[in-house]
Amino acid sequence: MRFRPTPLQISLAALVSCVVFVVIWQNKPKHAATVDFNRDVRPILSDRCFGCHGPDANKGRKAGLRLDEAESAGRKLKSGAIAIIPGDLKHSEMARRILSQDPEELMPSPELHRPLSQTEKNILLKWIEEGADYKPHWAFVSPVKHEPPQTQSADWAKDPIDRFILAKIEQAGLQPAPIADKTTLLRRASLALTGLPPTPKEVDTFLADTAPDAFSRRVDAMLASPRYGEHLAVGWMDLSRYADSWGYTGDGSMLAWPWRDWVLKAFNENMPYDRFLTEQLAGDLLPNSTHSQKIATAYNRIHRMTFEGGSIAEEFRQDGIGDRVATAGFGFMGLTLECSRCHDHKYDPIAQKDYYAMAAMFGDIDENGLLSYHGEAPAPFVRLLKEPELVREQELLRTIEQADRLHLNAVTKSLSRPATQLTIKDLPAPVALYHLEPPGKLGHINDAPNGKPARGGVTAIDGIAGKGAAFDGDGGLLLDGLEKFGRYDPVSFSAHLKLGEKNNRATLLHASDFYTGDGDASGLEIIILDGRLRWSVIHLWPNSAVSIETTQAMAVQKWQHITATYDGSSKASGLHLYLDGQELPTRVIRDTLDAPVREKTLQLGYRSRDAGFRNGAMDEVTIWRAALTSIEVAKHHNNTAHDFTDAQWREHFALREDPEVRQTQAALWKAQRELSELQDKAPRLPCMKASANAPKTYVLTRGQYDQPKLDTPIEPGVPTRIFPWNESYPRNRLGLAKWLTDPKNPLTARLTVNRLWTQIFGTGIVPSSENLGLQSDSPTHPELLDTLSVEFIESGWDIKALLRRMVLSATFAQSSAATPEAREKDPANKLLSHGPVLRLSAEMVRDQALQAASLLVEKVGGESVQESAYRRGLYTYRKRTAPPDSMLIFDAGSRETCQPRRLTTNTPLQALVLMNNRLFVDAASKIALNAQKQHPTDVDQQITLAFRLICTRVPRPAEFAALKELYVSQKANPSARAPIPIPPPVVKTATPDPKVKKADAKDKKVETPKRPEPGPALPLRADQAALAMVCSTILASDAAVTSR
Amino acid sequence: MPQRPLNYDTLMQSTRRHFLGTSALGLGAMAMRGIVGEGMAAAQPTGTHFPAKAKRIIYLFQAGGPSQLETYDNKPLLRASHGKPLPDSVRNGQRLTGMSGYQSVLPIAGSFAEFKKYGKSGVEYSDLLPFTGGMADDICVIRSMHTEAINHDPAITFFCSGSQIAGRPSMGAWASYGLGSMNENLPAFIVMVSTDSQKDQPIYSRLWGSGFLPSEHQGVQFKSGKEPVLYLTNPDGTSPHARREMLDALGKLNADQRAHELDPEVDARLAQAEMAYRMQTSVPEVADLTKESAATLEMYGPSVKTPGSFAANCLQARRLIERGVRFIQLFHQGWDNHGGLPGAIKRQCQQTDQASAALLKDLKQRGLLEDTLVVWGGEFGRTTYCQGKMSKDSYGRDHHPRCFSTWMAGGGVKGGQAYGQTDDFGYNIIKDPVHVHDMHATMLHLMGVDHERMTFKFQGRYYRLTDVAGQVVKGVVA
Repeated sequence: MRFRPTPLQISLAALVSCVVFVVIWQNKPKHAATVDFNRDVRPILSDRCFGCHGPDANKGRKAGLRLDEAESAGRKLKSGAIAIIPGDLKHSEMARRILSQDPEELMPSPELHRPLSQTEKNILLKWIEEGADYKPHWAFVSPVKHEPPQTQSADWAKDPIDRFILAKIEQAGLQPAPIADKTTLLRRASLALTGLPPTPKEVDTFLADTAPDAFSRRVDAMLASPRYGEHLAVGWMDLSRYADSWGYTGDGSMLAWPWRDWVLKAFNENMPYDRFLTEQLAGDLLPNSTHSQKIATAYNRIHRMTFEGGSIAEEFRQDGIGDRVATAGFGFMGLTLECSRCHDHKYDPIAQKDYYAMAAMFGDIDENGLLSYHGEAPAPFVRLLKEPELVREQELLRTIEQADRLHLNAVTKSLSRPATQLTIKDLPAPVALYHLEPPGKLGHINDAPNGKPARGGVTAIDGIAGKGAAFDGDGGLLLDGLEKFGRYDPVSFSAHLKLGEKNNRATLLHASDFYTGDGDASGLEIIILDGRLRWSVIHLWPNSAVSIETTQAMAVQKWQHITATYDGSSKASGLHLYLDGQELPTRVIRDTLDAPVREKTLQLGYRSRDAGFRNGAMDEVTIWRAALTSIEVAKHHNNTAHDFTDAQWREHFALREDPEVRQTQAALWKAQRELSELQDKAPRLPCMKASANAPKTYVLTRGQYDQPKLDTPIEPGVPTRIFPWNESYPRNRLGLAKWLTDPKNPLTARLTVNRLWTQIFGTGIVPSSENLGLQSDSPTHPELLDTLSVEFIESGWDIKALLRRMVLSATFAQSSAATPEAREKDPANKLLSHGPVLRLSAEMVRDQALQAASLLVEKVGGESVQESAYRRGLYTYRKRTAPPDSMLIFDAGSRETCQPRRLTTNTPLQALVLMNNRLFVDAASKIALNAQKQHPTDVDQQITLAFRLICTRVPRPAEFAALKELYVSQKANPSARAPIPIPPPVVKTATPDPKVKKADAKDKKVETPKRPEPGPALPLRADQAALAMVCSTILASDAAVTSR
Repeated sequence: MPQRPLNYDTLMQSTRRHFLGTSALGLGAMAMRGIVGEGMAAAQPTGTHFPAKAKRIIYLFQAGGPSQLETYDNKPLLRASHGKPLPDSVRNGQRLTGMSGYQSVLPIAGSFAEFKKYGKSGVEYSDLLPFTGGMADDICVIRSMHTEAINHDPAITFFCSGSQIAGRPSMGAWASYGLGSMNENLPAFIVMVSTDSQKDQPIYSRLWGSGFLPSEHQGVQFKSGKEPVLYLTNPDGTSPHARREMLDALGKLNADQRAHELDPEVDARLAQAEMAYRMQTSVPEVADLTKESAATLEMYGPSVKTPGSFAANCLQARRLIERGVRFIQLFHQGWDNHGGLPGAIKRQCQQTDQASAALLKDLKQRGLLEDTLVVWGGEFGRTTYCQGKMSKDSYGRDHHPRCFSTWMAGGGVKGGQAYGQTDDFGYNIIKDPVHVHDMHATMLHLMGVDHERMTFKFQGRYYRLTDVAGQVVKGVVA
């Protein structure tokens, strides 16, 4: 807003606007009821005003005016005007501005192209006139229970829910619709609770059951069926962006289905919602966290990840955290938290700092922002060991603990012996010795007594013995004659080095393929970082590695002799670094190696896409398959050295000579290898594991990963202006879960109740079921929502109990056929003056067809399968960059990011799927054959049965007549012969190999399970083909694709 | 061929409970009102805000990041400095990808391809693009494109949807939402992916997805072969006659359902099935290139006879445009030339040059170019310096988002010019930068749409193709 008019202008303008105002006010609509801030005013203010005059303090707030709080709205502005003076329309600047005829003055600014309607203006003016009463946003106030309202009709309600609904129906001058017939009701309930319609047999049983509790017993059976969990899980998969592939370039398989199984189990066992929430958000932080609780935390790890060459790890780490925050925002809070990633929220009281406080909650793991190109599950992960293996793992861990103690005792004993002056007979024999003597062919240096020569691109330089090898930073040497080194292989590496500069980063030795921001840095690795030497053995950086770094930078322009040793223990204490025979002081960077390391060919002085040993040189590179002792290192540096301490001699003796030490060590290693063997077989599921090594969180300027405000680290926290933090909670994800499940939290229960309501009734009490913030839709029945929310909490967050109430209500039981009056007064059925109508979801449409054809393979849980495996749609393999077409056409999403709600559309492509998609064609043929089998001679019965199999009810006479006519005509026409293909066999999908796989850029193939070839087609007889066409017609009809 | 909107909006009319009459607005915009669920009802039907210069768009997307230096942006200095290190002052500390970021030297690579001036306008094109050069007077080459992303996936997502974050609607989906279709037998937004290109970087359906817009706006992929559109073909043995009978029966079923339920949605469902039936005829007809004259086929080059080739898809695009499709996007991969660039880009140009030019010529001679906007370009450009080791006659280039070239022609574009300028090293823009959002704003402007006013309210926020940025590039507009 531009508040710069002179006093004269103001008075003139005020005069003009008063005139205008009077005119408008006289034309105001007749509704004389007072204005309700939450219902009437806030939606307008939020939508049209808060963008410039709302909570975003960073920039964007115009004229210093803030309209989302009473106090600031009534404050004198720089211009001298006051936006809102309660009760005083004439002097409220806001009134003048919204009525102004001057485009320079008019608010909202015409540039925004969202003018106020006359009604909206009237509401705002009336509100000011009535005292401009502000009330907190309804969804940010803890819900309280309300007495169900009195209704005129006393005997309609079956549940208190119904009285809330009925009261509004009656207010609108309508009557509830009559009760739906039993068949329709059973179909509706069955689709709502299990995602599948009842079979004709189930219908018959139900119709024959005249007991008063017949329906409630059916509902209980539905809730007890595993199909219930499968149906509920679909929505949770959308919210949690579940998929079976990683989603970016390459889009390889991601193992995530064990988490889906956890969700299935949770729903089917009716896990209380507060626990459901807590275990997914913070299962790893619960005391004595169980295997299952760790699996639950995969919720936060199944977002998209990339391994695209050249990607920057921190950028994608921040994107991953952002995805977690956004997903939890939609899933558990009903807020658009991600809006605050770049600036304060424009509508809701969520400051940018609050966003990063949430980011600190979800960024508490020690992770790499990039995937490994080689397909390992990113760390941290939980190993999916089976039950007996889990027991065995515990046994082995105890054995290791014991063996470790025995070994330590032996070492201690050995070290406490009187020092014995030993002589070193011989150093262990090296497995490779590279003299690096140029000039060789093309100036390369080739000399390797124990294998193939080193190869590569280096130039000659005066070395420590003869010539040495100089590196240009882009090329180096490949030591491909050597045996590989694994996690349990002791190794020593020694070389004379000369640094030409203080390298910020330089690769000296590594065993990986190439470098993608550490995503693939794996195996043995010696690098220079900020001039310091770092020695690591890595499964995946940073979460599964041992690594030490020298405390001092290396000298420059001087030959130095370094040695690095590793004893094969998978511990940082097994790593040592020496300079000129003397051990260097180091600090431990990581001590978390718990999985195999990459065993590629060793390379010297360079790595593809990484910084090489620019301006550096090496000479006399020696490699042992043993960890040298400090005395051996010194002797190797200078054979005449003899000045060793007693401690060094004792250590040497213990490691090299003491039989007890060697024996206990062998026992320890054996147990460790056995454990690895067991563990490495198991697939790995990425999970959350809070770590002290997790990077600190900062506010990122404009959300840019490379612009952290380093002066202000952010502690984990929540948007406290929505609901205050309780200081007794731990400041981590577990505290977040406690905050969310606090009975007074205004969002959690409302969001969940509203979501479940949407599942049953098609539209939420708050129609924008993904958003409860200021820009949300107003609840149609706020008292009902609040009452149900409190009761939901009081019930122990019992989902099944709540769904049961909804489905057994009189509201749910109404016929969906609306009277013309109801259709006119309540066109969108917001009042629920008639029964709910839902277009079946992508999953339901196909599952229903498969069930009708007896083709549905019912198996609960397990890995994802191709569509043609005829399992339920929940299990269809979800490749994020190529979602299943037929499901996409029926409004399923790609699962790239959280999808809180599916829109329902109606397109010709849907008709094409129903008519021509293989699954539906197969189903039609199969239904026809089955119907004929059951009624071999009676075509009428066949048609009726087919209709019942698909649409549940018996066809009405007009429907039957149309189908019969079609049948007769098709049978008479010999061209209409559809083949019946034999359904393809169920195939298993490929699960990513948990082991490190060999792959290079060229043969890297995206792992997509192959679609099985359909079976051979058998020609149908004319009568079969005709009936198949009838079934296809039924499948495409409204009665099939809707729940009414 | 329907020249004006028929009852497509009734047909595309989706679920909701009230029908709207036809209107001067695009059909899709009207259909939108019907489709949006109750909670999302704030969608403003947009339509055009001022007279459109372009009614349709054909976007020839060159995926992988074509090098501007061998095609549209001649840099003699690079040839003169071939092999010398790129001065740090030029790069000025800007970020590189992780692929060449650690390279110890960044040697300048001069283009092996020579350039010459074309047409009356005298705009320079490389020798690899003789056919495109032949259309120079119709083309506006933008040499000052720039983007924010440096990796393929975010960059191509940004170009196709205005955001690096997955889940936003694609350009074509926005066009379908805002302007709708102009025919009753075909979708508003059609996508084709060349079958004759090197598959170096993947193309995925997100790039033509509808994001949070209703899924009817998502691009429909046309493929070569028996079934150009998924699920279009009747099962073996089902004749069109049988299908017709089936639809008649379906009509009766739904009529009875409608009478019983009093729900107009039932009618909408039947209308969709009827349109599907019409598509079964119209799509194979439009996909049949054999009716094209020998002269036309020759113009597009020999590969036009290879089904699914870039050339065949260009011709297909023209046929679809003639039938009133609003937005067509072709994808041609193979431009990600990190190494061996000279050989690779020669191949790329051979695959695309003649057909791109032929498409312009063909549209022009049919009087369609004046209201059809054609865009050619990729997700970013390539570096001045060589990635990896340079050899005597080969080099590679890494991703370069800071400047690259793209071109526009037809529908309201001022042809015969090169817009924007880069420095002598081809590294930075020195004049008239055009951001991705600017290009989107300009495309919409040419379509008669104010990019700030075409919005969709989702999760409480008004989204635009251009997010919160974008300015119409006036210099490109005729």
